[in-house]
Amino acid sequence: MNDMRQDRVLITCRFLSILMCGLFVEGSARAATPGIKGPTFTLTAKDSYISQPDGQAIYSWGYGCSGAQPTLVPTMLNATCPSMQIPGPTLIVNEGDVVTVTLTNNLPNAAGNTSILFPGFMVSTTGGVAGLLTQEAMPGGTVTYQFTATTPGTRAYYSGSQGDLQVEMGLYGAVIVVPTQTSTFSASCGNSVGVATTLNQTARQYWKEQDFRLATAAYDHPSSCYDREYLFQFSEIDPRIHKQVETGVGLSKCGPGACPALNVQTEPYHPTYFMVNGRSMPDDMDPNYALEYPHQPYNGNPHMHPGELVLLRVIGQGRWQHPFHEHGNHVRVLARDGNLMVSQTDPTKLAGPLLFTTTTTPGLAMDGIFYWTGKGLNWDVYGHNKADSPTSAANLPCTPDVNGYNTLGTAYQQINFYEWCADHHKPLEKAPFGDVEGGGPATLPDPNYLTNGTWFGGSAYLGPDATIRSTGPKGTTPPSGTVANSPSTEAGFAFMWHSHNEREITTNNVFPGGMMMMMLVDSREFQIDEAN
Amino acid sequence: MTTEGIKRLIMGAVLMGFSALAGAQAFRVQCPTTTSLHPVPWAAPASGSATGPPYIGPVTINDTRTGGTGLTYVSNGGTIRCQQVSGGDGFATMGDGTQIYMFAFGPLSGLSDVANGLPGTETPSVFNSMPLSPLGAGSPGLPIDPFNGAVGLAMESGATTLTGHIDPRPVMDVGVMNGNQPAPLMAIDEDDEFFLTLSNVGMIMRPDLFEQHTIHFHGYPNASAFYDGVPDASVAINIGGSMTYYYLAPDAGTYFWHCHITPPEHLQMGMVGQLYVRPRQNRVPAGSPLYASLQLQQNDPRTASKCSNDILCSTPLPLANNVTHVNNKNGNPTFYAYNDGDGSTAYDVEYPLQIHGFDPNFHFVGTTFNPEGFADMKDKFFLLNGRSYPDTIQPGTMQTPSSDGKMHDSQPLPSIINIPMGGRALLRISDLDVSEFQTLASLGLPMKVIAQNARLLRDEAGNNMYYSTNSVTLGGGESIDVILDATGISAKQTFYLYTPNLDHLSNDAENFGGLMTEVNVCNAVDPLTKFCS
Repeated sequence: MNDMRQDRVLITCRFLSILMCGLFVEGSARAATPGIKGPTFTLTAKDSYISQPDGQAIYSWGYGCSGAQPTLVPTMLNATCPSMQIPGPTLIVNEGDVVTVTLTNNLPNAAGNTSILFPGFMVSTTGGVAGLLTQEAMPGGTVTYQFTATTPGTRAYYSGSQGDLQVEMGLYGAVIVVPTQTSTFSASCGNSVGVATTLNQTARQYWKEQDFRLATAAYDHPSSCYDREYLFQFSEIDPRIHKQVETGVGLSKCGPGACPALNVQTEPYHPTYFMVNGRSMPDDMDPNYALEYPHQPYNGNPHMHPGELVLLRVIGQGRWQHPFHEHGNHVRVLARDGNLMVSQTDPTKLAGPLLFTTTTTPGLAMDGIFYWTGKGLNWDVYGHNKADSPTSAANLPCTPDVNGYNTLGTAYQQINFYEWCADHHKPLEKAPFGDVEGGGPATLPDPNYLTNGTWFGGSAYLGPDATIRSTGPKGTTPPSGTVANSPSTEAGFAFMWHSHNEREITTNNVFPGGMMMMMLVDSREFQIDEAN
Repeated sequence: MTTEGIKRLIMGAVLMGFSALAGAQAFRVQCPTTTSLHPVPWAAPASGSATGPPYIGPVTINDTRTGGTGLTYVSNGGTIRCQQVSGGDGFATMGDGTQIYMFAFGPLSGLSDVANGLPGTETPSVFNSMPLSPLGAGSPGLPIDPFNGAVGLAMESGATTLTGHIDPRPVMDVGVMNGNQPAPLMAIDEDDEFFLTLSNVGMIMRPDLFEQHTIHFHGYPNASAFYDGVPDASVAINIGGSMTYYYLAPDAGTYFWHCHITPPEHLQMGMVGQLYVRPRQNRVPAGSPLYASLQLQQNDPRTASKCSNDILCSTPLPLANNVTHVNNKNGNPTFYAYNDGDGSTAYDVEYPLQIHGFDPNFHFVGTTFNPEGFADMKDKFFLLNGRSYPDTIQPGTMQTPSSDGKMHDSQPLPSIINIPMGGRALLRISDLDVSEFQTLASLGLPMKVIAQNARLLRDEAGNNMYYSTNSVTLGGGESIDVILDATGISAKQTFYLYTPNLDHLSNDAENFGGLMTEVNVCNAVDPLTKFCS
């Protein structure tokens, strides 16, 4: 093997071992949408270093919490809001709240003034000095922004001072306004994949999962009900800019207001790090508030069960557009920048497009609903065996509801909750291994000619029960199964969610990395824990 | 454990051993003539673009075949279709004459169809056939031997019927260095079962690489991870082996496909292709109402589109109407892009158009043993169906010499858009560029965007959300369906599709060419050959 090629492989392996460390040390890691609770926020802008999977520590600027610790929502274990983080703290407020954000500029004096813009809100300011777009906080100074959170939804916030530099350095974050008029419909959140999201909540309680949602719906609209939610903020880093700033800040020992402007070239722009929520793959799949990333508390590690409505909050925080491709299904776009899109003729109906690639655009926030059910595959993903299996799980019933899913009665207590009943018992394999039925259309490829992936569940089937029945507790991989999606305990269906500008799923020229994560669809018995 | 359980385990072990033995084979294909869902073979007419049997609404069938599952299936028609592609490498010719090295897929079925710019997707009766004479290297399936069967198919010793057994020699003879840009076209109808075989013939110019390949059916709704083609989440096929992907055709639309191994590398190097699904509305008998047929589709939960119950409802019923399945300019029942129920996506002739970009520096490094730089990627060739202007308007397949000095088909698809006077062309535009967004504009004829990401633009209340524009912008991983309407335009006029990303109107150092092609308004256009008269 050529040396360089070998280097690449070695680096890849190192990536994987970092990931595995994460998995073993931290336990199962999920995502949710963590943030801090308003309506009053005391923020600071500060410098520090963030880490990348290639070992680089990159000098950055970020927003963080100052003064008394805010309330973290949803509750996260062992978590505190750092004084500098990228992205900035997610500000979570209620519809109608009068939101007050006080910002103290603790950036190095050479950075000059800083500020926050809240696009989509009518903002009034107190204190600070006049800047081009808004009132700014001088070095060491403060400024206060106030606005009413008139409408629900996801929006971006970011620096309004020398944006080409300050946003690049990391001064951006998200505002989530939680709707308050949902009481008329939330008890029977309808218009779901199948019958009602309340069923998924019943299942969640039965399987002893906690509820990490900020609300029952994204908007004051019954079509925006959801069961799980994830926030993804996309941004890039051009390390040359950060290096220039780090050098410039170090050189200029000057007092507040007496600093010459930093002389930093922000063009030509040549990013080499591509991040989701401030982290590059595989770091993004480590837990929220993981100790390894003191200044990058938010992860990107979505999990879901079949039939759950999953709210995606997606924001473009960098300079570039990124075509974010969701493997597994389409996304119904609910809203752009907090503006719900409804039909011109019937406002009870949605009008946003169905997309399998949700392009992130600088400054733009998008809310959308995703789900996965396995509908229409023409084979039983649970590998049920009606014939003579000794395993009771192999013989589970599937009684279709009005939409064809297994949700009736106590189906939520079964591992095949939300199974697509039309395909129940339908075999995939012509002559299968083990305890699943034959007679199906396809022959699986010869294992001697296969390479198994790190997230391969071990079989063609969903869930540990079907995987063990069809192949054994280790899956098909000799000798020890897959490492990130255990055949015997999880065996989820893994889907890559990533930028389809594929060069952006690299970290400083090494694949894999960058704007990429694996989304796991887990059968109902797997406990998804979003605690951190 | 019960006695029965132990028995079962032993059975399982025996089965495993047996299966492993039976499966210990390199290349092979799968293309059954019947399945539980399609128990009766469909006698397809000779024409390659024919759609399946007429759509009459969902029908319940019981699989009572010998050895069948005995289960009940809901059939909406459709048929079985199969295709085989190679994963390997090859050379293509760029607009300035540069011969560029690619990692690429090539045709291993439908050789003749692919060489003629058609999908290499075949019915079992065609796929399971053997050539009259042995196939040679890079055999383009010349008209003298219009062979469309699976390359390598051979009778297994002792067998009396074809079993999918493959003789590896013809697969290597044909498959090595037969890469196409874009990859072989795939087209299926809703309700088809699609058996898609990828045979990894290795990248012969890069013997240092031991790369697997996969097929990612981009946009397949409710995909299984197993057949999603992401090597990290599934299995990938090694050199010398085949994997058959099995799909029930999803909702109609313009999808696309590509390899998912090290995507920034394999996609930039050329492993990208086109794939579309035709709607069952095409199969509504001529003169029958379209709205009523869409109502019939509501009777099967799989084909229903009820937004009150499903937030991902793909084609909600439009306002009630009496539009029937009319004839197109060619005098045949017209085609539709989607199950619109109102005839609004009708077209006379369709053109798959894939946008891509090649960075010659990356491809040069890709020819060597050195690691490529991803962040530095800068495309210099801007491709429509693998060609830059003026190659885009050269009819017929393009060939490129390979290491053996022989010409191999490299870019079978021209991008000449011929529209019959007063008619409509459907542009199935997809983008698999890996480094930047690209814009395609229409000079003259307005574009009507009817769908995005393989989904009709229609709100949940049934209002069409189509819009007219003169340009569309796509990033990698996106598709858009555009209708070019030549109503009121007299024949023998030429218009242009070009990119307003003006630096993309170049072929590397040549300040001319790039992402551009011509649109001709004709007296008539053959929907199959696209011939303009």
